[in-house]
Amino acid sequence: MNEYRADIISTVEFNHTGELLATGDKGGRVVIFQREQESKNQVHRRGEYNVYSTFQSHEPEFDYLKSLEIEEKINKIRWLPQQNAAYFLLSTNDKTVKLWKVSERDKRPEGYNLKDEEGRLRDPATITTLRVPVLRPMDLMVEATPRRVFANAHTYHINSISVNSDYETYMSADDLRINLWNFEITNQSFNIVDIKPANMEELTEVITAAEFHPHHCNSFVYSSSKGTIRLCDMRASALCDRHSKFFEEPEDPSNRSFFSEIISSISDVKFSHSGRYIMTRDYLTVKVWDLNMENRPIETYQVHDYLRSKLCSLYENDCIFDKFECVWNGSDSVIMTGSYNNFFRMFDRNTKRDVTLEASRENSKPRAILKPRKVCVGGKRRKDEISVDSLDFSKKILHTAWHPSENIIAVAATNNLYIFQDKVN
Amino acid sequence: MEFKLEAHRIVSISLGKIYNSRVQRGGIKLHKNLLVSLVLRSARQVYLSDPCPGLYLAGPAGSPAVPPPPPSPQQQQQQQPGEPAAGPPAGWGEPPPPPPAARAAWPEPEPQPQPQPERPAAPVTGAGDAPRGGEVEAAEAAWRRVEGAREAAEGGAAGPAGGSDGFPEGPRGARRQCGCPPGAEDRPGAPGACPRLACCAPRPAEDEPPAPPAVGPRKRGAAGVGGGPAGGPASGSSPLKKPRRNSEEQPGGAAAAAAEEEEMETGNVANLISIFGSSFSGLLRKSPGGGREEAEGEESGPEAAEPGQICCDKPVLRDINPWSTAIVAF
Repeated sequence: MNEYRADIISTVEFNHTGELLATGDKGGRVVIFQREQESKNQVHRRGEYNVYSTFQSHEPEFDYLKSLEIEEKINKIRWLPQQNAAYFLLSTNDKTVKLWKVSERDKRPEGYNLKDEEGRLRDPATITTLRVPVLRPMDLMVEATPRRVFANAHTYHINSISVNSDYETYMSADDLRINLWNFEITNQSFNIVDIKPANMEELTEVITAAEFHPHHCNSFVYSSSKGTIRLCDMRASALCDRHSKFFEEPEDPSNRSFFSEIISSISDVKFSHSGRYIMTRDYLTVKVWDLNMENRPIETYQVHDYLRSKLCSLYENDCIFDKFECVWNGSDSVIMTGSYNNFFRMFDRNTKRDVTLEASRENSKPRAILKPRKVCVGGKRRKDEISVDSLDFSKKILHTAWHPSENIIAVAATNNLYIFQDKVN
Repeated sequence: MEFKLEAHRIVSISLGKIYNSRVQRGGIKLHKNLLVSLVLRSARQVYLSDPCPGLYLAGPAGSPAVPPPPPSPQQQQQQQPGEPAAGPPAGWGEPPPPPPAARAAWPEPEPQPQPQPERPAAPVTGAGDAPRGGEVEAAEAAWRRVEGAREAAEGGAAGPAGGSDGFPEGPRGARRQCGCPPGAEDRPGAPGACPRLACCAPRPAEDEPPAPPAVGPRKRGAAGVGGGPAGGPASGSSPLKKPRRNSEEQPGGAAAAAAEEEEMETGNVANLISIFGSSFSGLLRKSPGGGREEAEGEESGPEAAEPGQICCDKPVLRDINPWSTAIVAF
């Protein structure tokens, strides 16, 4: 269960145009895919994603003061909007956020006076003429350089980063605190949320995810392990411990169990593109909330309710602690999230229809249409259905991403990345 | 009965998780340990609310003890604040961290019983409160000294209650604190043995971590009961000391777990925790004495329980399979 594999994908994120897709893995590596330019000759063939750049973002570290090993696993990647020819992204592990610049180089200067072609210095006595160096084409090289390192600001494990719509600041959230950074300043950050109690024995909840509002640079939300969401306004005070809005759904007493608290812990929170809704994922459901209504979500979708009777086993094998993410499509009409057995689910908010699909090589050939899957919850199992007890809980889809404008999705299944596109007729 | 066993099983699983979290790469995850501690709390609630005559201590009059109703959720909330123990966190700066469960015991202040009138011995619990705090802090202090040089570290709590010394002391100390002498006399007027046991139960958990140094003095077999917590040098520890070093960094889970253990108000659980405790100390010490300690602890655990307040006989103890599995695991 705890076998360590460096290539397990731990985060997936499209950039703002959808041209690039970044993945981070447990080994601290970032792999960026770029979509091929669509060829006029082959209109039926959509642009495919190919590897564009690979670099080592984080390395394992050791905190000697606390005798604590810091994992190099990339917890989140967030892109900055593109402002020039280079691409910028933030990647973070448990403790340190880094800003990476990914840029192309397809020319190189040649014809230096003081250096020869290999870069060695020439003896000035041998130089008899002067020439102007020229840029000559070279094979495209994509290089990634760390431009900023934002370190030493988090005592606990970073779970989220979010770029502000002002493009000048971003926030990083750990279990108990949220810090606001300016991209240009690495040696200090502002603490904007601090839920650490004076007496740690009184701790009852932790921050599980946080995100800035897509348009209002003063607003952000953070979710908690108690199943609540807080909307905060940075204009109200410097320390946003007091929320502007508090979203919580009363617990259903009939569903109470040993594990009620665990399954109500929110693992992901995402604003809709419109900024009007937030979506939260807890262990068994996805909920959509209207920012204007705090006392309950407007929509609740069951992801895999058949697991409700198996919570004890899932607690034993640690699966109940899995943190699933959720995503909106570009138009906020469909939401998607992962499940076990390499299944992922899509819910159409308008038609109220949902579908279960599987990301696996065995069941899908390239360019084949994905067949909807169904889990049989008891009684007779039809052909093509899979029974709950046959589900493979080691195959979990925690991370998915949706292209910002097209129906292209990226699904991370352990160490494999699947990219699915709408079929063009 | 099934609920009780289920609750037992969940508690043992939870303790195992907290223990394993020490060795996980990347340090202890606060969130996960918090959730595990919440499960522990829920399991404890069920355990307490599911009366099972066979597992409860008979009162002095011979009447089976009836467990007090479980605290209301609000009270629970207060009682199990949660985690992050102030104890030396595993991996948060203290080199060989003690088993989280053991550590966890300390930070948790004695919750309840005051709000529940039916709980016996308000004075007992009251007494428990102070010492517990002291014990916690003393325990923490002891932890820190463990790395350093041990000895007088003494199990921390030389509190009024007597402190948390080694595990064997724990239950005994707790009992003493509660005014339940090893002779197992019931407090006159106390509604039942169980409630009293409750206040006794936590102690053992508290006592576990500080174990290492001064095995001899602390170990105190029979002497322990009377000797009180400060097995020897321990008495130097001030119960009111506030070792908060790195308390922030402590993962709550361990603390919460220990707190949960403390809250378990049944004698057999207390015994098992004391067994765990001795096992932990044996593992921690990694010395030839450790094994001996462990053996002694296991032996003395049930024995310690027996005098006076037999919450469950040895045979019953042995027959509870999840527990034995957990002990073996540790």
